[in-house]
Amino acid sequence: MDILEKLTILTEGAKYDAACTSSGAQRPGQKGLGNTLKAGCCHSFSADGRCISLLKVLQTNYCVYDCKYCVNRVSNEVVRAAFTPAELAELTIQFYRRNYIEGLFLSSGVHINPDHTMEQMIKTIELLRYSYNFGGYIHAKTIPGAAPELVQRLGLAADRLSVNIELPSEASLKLLAPHKSKQAILKPMAQIRDGQSENKQDLIKYRHAPHFAAAGQATQMIIGATPESDYQIMKLAFGLYKQYALKRVFYSAYIPAVEDNLLPACDTKPPLLREHRLYQADFLLRQYKFTVDEIISEQTPNFNPYLDPKCNWAINNMQYFPVDVNKACLEELLRVPGIGPVSARRIITSRRHSKLGLPELKRLGVVLKRARYFILAADLPVGLKSDKESALKALLDPTIHSLGVEQLTLFDTTQGEWALPPAVTIDGLGLTATN
Amino acid sequence: MALADIIKQTSDKGYLYDGGLAGFFCCVYESVYQRELPYGIYAKYSHEPCLLPLKHIYTDISKAGKVRASIPKKISARALQMVENVFLSCLEERELALLRFLLLGYSEGSNITKQWGRAEIAPLLAAERHLWGECHLLQGFVRFSDHQGVLIAVISPKNYVLPYIAGHFINRYSSENFMIYDKTHQAALIYHDRRQDIIPVQDIEFPALAAEEEEYRELWKCFYHTVAIEERANPRCRMTHMPKRYWENMTEMHDLL
Ligand code: SF4
Repeated sequence: MDILEKLTILTEGAKYDAACTSSGAQRPGQKGLGNTLKAGCCHSFSADGRCISLLKVLQTNYCVYDCKYCVNRVSNEVVRAAFTPAELAELTIQFYRRNYIEGLFLSSGVHINPDHTMEQMIKTIELLRYSYNFGGYIHAKTIPGAAPELVQRLGLAADRLSVNIELPSEASLKLLAPHKSKQAILKPMAQIRDGQSENKQDLIKYRHAPHFAAAGQATQMIIGATPESDYQIMKLAFGLYKQYALKRVFYSAYIPAVEDNLLPACDTKPPLLREHRLYQADFLLRQYKFTVDEIISEQTPNFNPYLDPKCNWAINNMQYFPVDVNKACLEELLRVPGIGPVSARRIITSRRHSKLGLPELKRLGVVLKRARYFILAADLPVGLKSDKESALKALLDPTIHSLGVEQLTLFDTTQGEWALPPAVTIDGLGLTATN
Repeated sequence: MALADIIKQTSDKGYLYDGGLAGFFCCVYESVYQRELPYGIYAKYSHEPCLLPLKHIYTDISKAGKVRASIPKKISARALQMVENVFLSCLEERELALLRFLLLGYSEGSNITKQWGRAEIAPLLAAERHLWGECHLLQGFVRFSDHQGVLIAVISPKNYVLPYIAGHFINRYSSENFMIYDKTHQAALIYHDRRQDIIPVQDIEFPALAAEEEEYRELWKCFYHTVAIEERANPRCRMTHMPKRYWENMTEMHDLL
């Protein structure tokens, strides 16, 4: 089998993985080839609009496990292939030299057993690091059940490690991924966390101690294959961030790849809008200092499809508004719809020199269409006497159009209760609500 | 007349200069000492003949040096940085906008660069961000081809990005030899035997591609198309993140143009 064919098969098997970021590690170029950038770098965007940063492939798609949702499961008939470590290392280098990629994202099916699989991956990565002196980004997936020594070796050569949590609950995991136990997933996560904190102390003691997964660890879970609510998912994500010091949790809308009566039917559309809301909520937790219970509750356990979580919070907490842009602190500004982290910081810098009115805010990048219902400014001293309806109209999320109305239909039938803002007539906005 | 008053009245003169930063500083010198605001400042290479009178501003290094030194002294170091960045950006009539900015700055001092909401300042900051944004995109979108061991890339940016992206690529490919050719501005960044230079160039013809190079291009295109998830197709989102004007120089996008 030639390389082109292998590349096709092993990309096909890896493409559903959500993570492709190359962020979190800053390493200047050294004697070899390559460097990494703290902010990461997108090299291209595929037809689905996702960033291509890393060469995202499997070492092999041979697999002895039988995860129900996965194209590579042992019981599925697909063409199988495997890269030799030398082939994959050379391909990575040649792509990197041409600036196609920022580095390698290596994952794998479980060939023979977890240890054997990890050894192949380690060979590839060690070839890159120690023979080619490759200084670019490497993200590797650890294989659940592999020996701790192997996880350690992988972590010393890679920038980021991840262990996929796969599904949002233990029950679902038992049902759909019978070979993977919660234990086998959480153990390496804890090992990576501890390895990193030990490594930090070593680095203080010995300046040249090797780095262990310097860009931290991440995980991902599949959304929409199993019945968990957004509330359960957010609680889990928040717990993971806290307990395992994760850098990122990725959410991956389930795309039916196999027929199985435990799974949604094959013609089910992937819940892209729901995935989008989860990322927005995740961002609010990490960057805006919201807590899970502020943005979602057990009573309304799913996000409102029409409003992004921040707007949804604002409209239900009008007692905190209006906020005076010439006085409010950073945290207060961040909670105003239409003001993001960048414009909030700009407001704080520029208001020291002169009072800000609406034209100034506009030039600072504030989305006035949304923000004006929630703020006081130099030329808006009492705030807009607005009815909830016009505020709601302004806040309606335009992405619901681009992600398609089918998305909403799917939402309505499979998700729990969410309060549709009563004053908005959905018909008038060109949308059809189904319930 | 106070400096701040100069901008209140446009004179009937335009300035013509050599297009370089030193030349622009000499335009500032002229404006300040003549107490006049030109209706336009034009670089020689880009200027189209017009009927209104034009003053030739000759580049005098000592005058330029004086103006340059005055900016951090009378305004701030950040102001000088802004001037240098915006000058290399693609903002229309940037020379005139920068002259107005400097005249305001000379009379108001260092606060001027922090008033991000002011009508005279916001467009300059936006131009600066546009320049940085394009540099950021190009760090990813530049595509090299291997020509007998030398890596060669072509770009057609709106802003003059070479000085800003040079450091990144030299850091990344420190042991390679490479060239990035900017078609828009007819300039090239050359990195050879660990020495770097940005030089003016005319149109370049590149030799035919070696078989190995063709092979890697095919592999890359194959990866690009395979990694997309059909069920999530979203061409509009792709276009927002990767505007079409970059596609001509990107190996994987050629076939889609
Ligand atoms: S272990 Fe499960 S998810 Fe991973 S490749 Fe095998 S079947 Fe797929």
